[in-house]
Amino acid sequence: MRLSQSIILLALGFVPLSMVQGETLIQDVVDSMLDAKMQQVNITAAPMADDYNILRRTTLDLIGRIPTSAEVDRYVTSEDSNKREQMVDQLLQSPAYQKHLAYDLNLLLAPAGNNELQNFLEQAVTQRRGWDQMFRAMLLGDYEDELERQAMKFVKLRVKDLDNLTNATSSLFFGVNISCAKCHDHPLVIEWTQAHFYGMKSFFNRSFENGDFVGERDYGALQYQTTDGKQLDAQMMFLSGKVIEEPQWTSPDAEKQKAEKKQLEQLAKDKQPVPVPQYSRRAQLLDIALNGDDRSYFSKSIVNRIWYRTFGYGLVMPLDQMHPSNPASHPKLLDFLAQDMSDHGYDLTRLIRGLVLTQAYARSSRYDGENRPPQLWFAVANVKPLTPQQYAAALLFGARNPSQFASEDVLKTQAEIESVHAQARTLAVKFDVPSDEFQVSVDEALLFSNDAALEKDLLANRADRLIGELMILSTDAEVVATASKSIMNRPVTKQEQRVMMKYLKHRQDRREAAVIQLVWALLTSSEVRFNY
Amino acid sequence: MAEIGPKFFKEVKQISRGDILLRISHQASMQSVYVGSSDAKIYSVDPLADKPEFHEFQGHTSYVMGLVDTGKHLVSGSYDRSLIWWDKESREIVRRVEDAHDRWIRNMFLSPDGQTVLSVGDDMVCKLWDAESGELVRELVSHQKITPNHFPNMLYATAVSPDGKLIATVDRIAKIKIWDFKTGEEVTEFEAPKCYTWDPQKRIHSIGGIRSVCFSPDSKSVAVGGIGPIGNIDHLESPGRVEIFNVASGEKTHEFEGDKKIIGLVEQIVFHPSGKWLMAVGGKETGWVQFLDLEKKEVIRQIDAPMHVHQVAVTDDFSTVYGAGHGKLIVWSLVQ
Amino acid sequence: MTLQNSFSRRRFLGQSTLVGAGAAASVMSLDILKSEAFSKQLKQKGKRVLLLWLAGGVSQLETFDPKPGRLTGGPFQAIQTAVPGVEISELMPKMATRLKHTAIIRSLNTKIGDHGGGARLMHLGRRDEPNLSYPDMGSVMARELGRPDSKVPDYVTFYTATEGRGNAVGQAGFLGSRYAPMFLTTGNKPQNLERLESISDLDHRERADLRRVLSARFTQGRVSPALGSHNVAYGRVRGLMSSEALFDITREPKSIQDKYGPSLFAQQTLVARRLIEAGTPFVKVSRAWWDSHGQNFETHLEMVTELDHVMSTLLDDLQERGLLEDTLVITLSEFGRTPTINGSLGRDHFARAWSATLSGCGIRGGTVFGSTDEDGQHVKDGEVGAAELFATIYAAVGIDPQHEYYVGSRPVPLVDSGTEVISEVLA
Repeated sequence: MRLSQSIILLALGFVPLSMVQGETLIQDVVDSMLDAKMQQVNITAAPMADDYNILRRTTLDLIGRIPTSAEVDRYVTSEDSNKREQMVDQLLQSPAYQKHLAYDLNLLLAPAGNNELQNFLEQAVTQRRGWDQMFRAMLLGDYEDELERQAMKFVKLRVKDLDNLTNATSSLFFGVNISCAKCHDHPLVIEWTQAHFYGMKSFFNRSFENGDFVGERDYGALQYQTTDGKQLDAQMMFLSGKVIEEPQWTSPDAEKQKAEKKQLEQLAKDKQPVPVPQYSRRAQLLDIALNGDDRSYFSKSIVNRIWYRTFGYGLVMPLDQMHPSNPASHPKLLDFLAQDMSDHGYDLTRLIRGLVLTQAYARSSRYDGENRPPQLWFAVANVKPLTPQQYAAALLFGARNPSQFASEDVLKTQAEIESVHAQARTLAVKFDVPSDEFQVSVDEALLFSNDAALEKDLLANRADRLIGELMILSTDAEVVATASKSIMNRPVTKQEQRVMMKYLKHRQDRREAAVIQLVWALLTSSEVRFNY
Repeated sequence: MAEIGPKFFKEVKQISRGDILLRISHQASMQSVYVGSSDAKIYSVDPLADKPEFHEFQGHTSYVMGLVDTGKHLVSGSYDRSLIWWDKESREIVRRVEDAHDRWIRNMFLSPDGQTVLSVGDDMVCKLWDAESGELVRELVSHQKITPNHFPNMLYATAVSPDGKLIATVDRIAKIKIWDFKTGEEVTEFEAPKCYTWDPQKRIHSIGGIRSVCFSPDSKSVAVGGIGPIGNIDHLESPGRVEIFNVASGEKTHEFEGDKKIIGLVEQIVFHPSGKWLMAVGGKETGWVQFLDLEKKEVIRQIDAPMHVHQVAVTDDFSTVYGAGHGKLIVWSLVQ
Repeated sequence: MTLQNSFSRRRFLGQSTLVGAGAAASVMSLDILKSEAFSKQLKQKGKRVLLLWLAGGVSQLETFDPKPGRLTGGPFQAIQTAVPGVEISELMPKMATRLKHTAIIRSLNTKIGDHGGGARLMHLGRRDEPNLSYPDMGSVMARELGRPDSKVPDYVTFYTATEGRGNAVGQAGFLGSRYAPMFLTTGNKPQNLERLESISDLDHRERADLRRVLSARFTQGRVSPALGSHNVAYGRVRGLMSSEALFDITREPKSIQDKYGPSLFAQQTLVARRLIEAGTPFVKVSRAWWDSHGQNFETHLEMVTELDHVMSTLLDDLQERGLLEDTLVITLSEFGRTPTINGSLGRDHFARAWSATLSGCGIRGGTVFGSTDEDGQHVKDGEVGAAELFATIYAAVGIDPQHEYYVGSRPVPLVDSGTEVISEVLA
């Protein structure tokens, strides 16, 4: 066991973080702190998930697809005591990991239905840029740099609606939704007043859209009306209440404004960016958000979001309500991880790796005991609906002939996997992006039940498809076993085998139809729809 | 004597107004013109006066869409469905025909002999009225009331041939019907389908229609104007379009499609008496004037107008053109 | 198939707002007495809503707020309606004789003048919030007026034109996809309601049974609302397939088909009536595209004529069937059109002073609420926004507009708190 004494002391809250010496492993700290809490509240965790389950879960979470039958075999038969860590590291090194993380980050950061940030995010993840650097590029990117130009879409796509830009920035990067404070002081959180909302909005009030670019003026102030009708001047103010003093500025006279307007029109016409102002309010926001004590908003928010992505539930819930009256379930753990993030250049992959290597991550999602522990103790794994991209990949890989991915030629197998994975993008548009309260729509069930194109794609009797392979197998038992492994990535249970074989037996007169129906029932089963 | 021609075309004067001037008629013997407005009034005005004064004719309740000068009277028609005969001097109503059409009146025309006033409306009927007595002489009925896509059709314009023998009527779905003036029988029918755009998929409605019609000086051809096929039918973003048909053979002899300067509806076509060229006017947000050479089948000149031009009145010698349009009355000269 | 890609989103690094099990929990406002709450529930029973979504922005001046004799008024006249003193555009002669069922609200000022933003506002009744995905009106109605086990769909949207379709929000938001619309984009029948020929009815059913058995094993010992909804959705498939006939207007008597007439909008409205009659609580029939920047009057001559016919036929039909009392018919756009007429004889986007109508269920017919100035440039009396309109719509079908959903620990009222209903138009 790697757990050092200091970690245990840390976990129990006996020593402050700063006193822990030497390199600690994220996974050890997380597990010890979660375990300590479970002991405190007298909870029994679910047992560990089996190898099949862990491999499927980790592969889906890290690279966005299910494992192939060959990968399953390789993993479960390996007797290497370090195989889980090796598997995780192998996945983290794959380009599919970068793509998948960028896809998820884009879903988070871009307005709904828009993927204009995805390429930037993918490149940033590949280059292992820190989350702080990504944030900087998205808020104050340099238009000379092609990638940062793409990153600026974060602002560009919202700058027409400054309230939205303010609140999106605040909740996506700082975990604080202040929209309620716009019209009145926040009803739930005494800390957030209208001054906070307009204070945060002041960081953006000089930003504007000019042609393809976002520009910023070096003058302009924001005023707002309080609930009792008073007109107030807003000051740049961060969520912590810290106010930024800015140098004196004056508004240009009418003639200068006219000249400025003309210049902007010309720049837009020439497709040129607006020159950056000498004093940028957006730069002030970056400055305060990424430095000093106020940095903790930024650090904790990204930790909480990555935690949520990994475990299906946050250390603070809701994710955008990270305020003093809504404390974390494990405050010290959140502090530790936030500190670790900022100490290590906001390396997302470092955190992700640490979290997926925890024991907590490897627990079963099934809890047969009577008192199922509440989600906030992370004693049982959560069942997470797949994203459109994950689900499409799960279906496509499951419905392929597994032998396609089992070639001796590693490069060929790799190419085959990449090709199928790329096709998932097309199929993915048919599925809903799950929200937190996601419910599967009846449209989806109807699509699977009666859509000809989907049937043709997934249920074709062709050599490269699972059905093609199943049709040449000689026994029903083989059919059931091969199909289950390809689609569910695990061996079939006795009970399942009995049900499926009975189904096939009743349809001896129409075996092909029976096999197709069997594969349909497996593909559409809940097990495939979720990461469990 | 000074030469007259398109190459000398220039603006002499423009008068801005808050309303939309939809129709115009020129008094041959005088300096002044009559204009029909979106404010439901008709005005007589000498646009070239130092301080032009607009004298009101008050009687309609909606857009004035037809205006002809019979010599003795001014006759007007409106979206309010009525026709009014006016005393030109006193600007009093001499006669009012309420519900002259069942639906909105779109345009009018005076026969070359000055004896008959023609009106067209969205009841899809062309009506011939005795210019003097105001009696209904004849109704020309055969344009479809409903478009092939089940929407109301619209009858936009009519014209009589200079020899007085034929009448042309044109509608929303780009049908051109030719009638015998004397008998009222339908002689023939042409189509200019590019002038009507039905969008079945993106927006599920239509735009266009033939908006203008004019016979050639020899009465052998009929020219029609409108707008070409439109991608986005919420805007007049397509070239203005002129097509000319030989009446006897039905053959399409000319087809002019505007370039990027000529976007919008061709609201009116006027042949030069020589028959060698014609003038087309129209527009979208703003407007234009276009001169087309009928022998060479090419554009002679095209000039931006400061407003969408709805109608022009041309002096007999083609020396002066008065234009009515969106918020403006304009005078152009073609004299060297 | 356009599976409406719900704009609700952000599971991954999620924007969670919900704690614990179950989709958004629903509670009545605490200050309502129990008996009153109960009577309100009774009041909701059997109520239906049919939204005629006039996409692109219909002109109030050519419909329900004419300005005859003004330069902004355009060429069409105003006509007297069956309600003394109330005039509407002459393009709506049929509605003029039936106005006793309809309330006109002439004083909407909704401020957002772009299609996307305006349409979102008029579907959600409020502005977007980045971290909370709100349900649209249809999803709220599906949830509040529908039955969980219903064999008919509880939220159906027609939007066949392609222009502006993406703006016509169909999102269940925090209510969850159970209340997402069945979104029809081609023709009058939903896709995937008909069994493929490649499988027999028996196999189709037994295949679903096999799926259920396999999934049931998986759900043992696992708890998740999303997981539950997956199996609920599949459980509804066979029932919905049996509702296919509702989408087939040839099953209507010819006389009824003839009354509605041949246009697509008319036919889809007839399907909507069939659905309403069969118990579907919310149907939206979209008629696009009204965006008449050029040739406003020709466009409105075409489309208002159609609207007049379809709306009046619908009201007659509902009344003859005794359904009008329980069915609220709404006409709504993302905004109105400018009183100022542009050079192309068009009207542009205008959110400052425009109109919507409510007919039937819960409505005091024949009322006109609010007014605009003589040129229609500004609201003169009774200015209301999207929130007030939505509150009124909910109230009309017996839903308390102050009804609150709990999203996590946060109470989210159906409409922004402090919003007042337009009681003048309520029966």
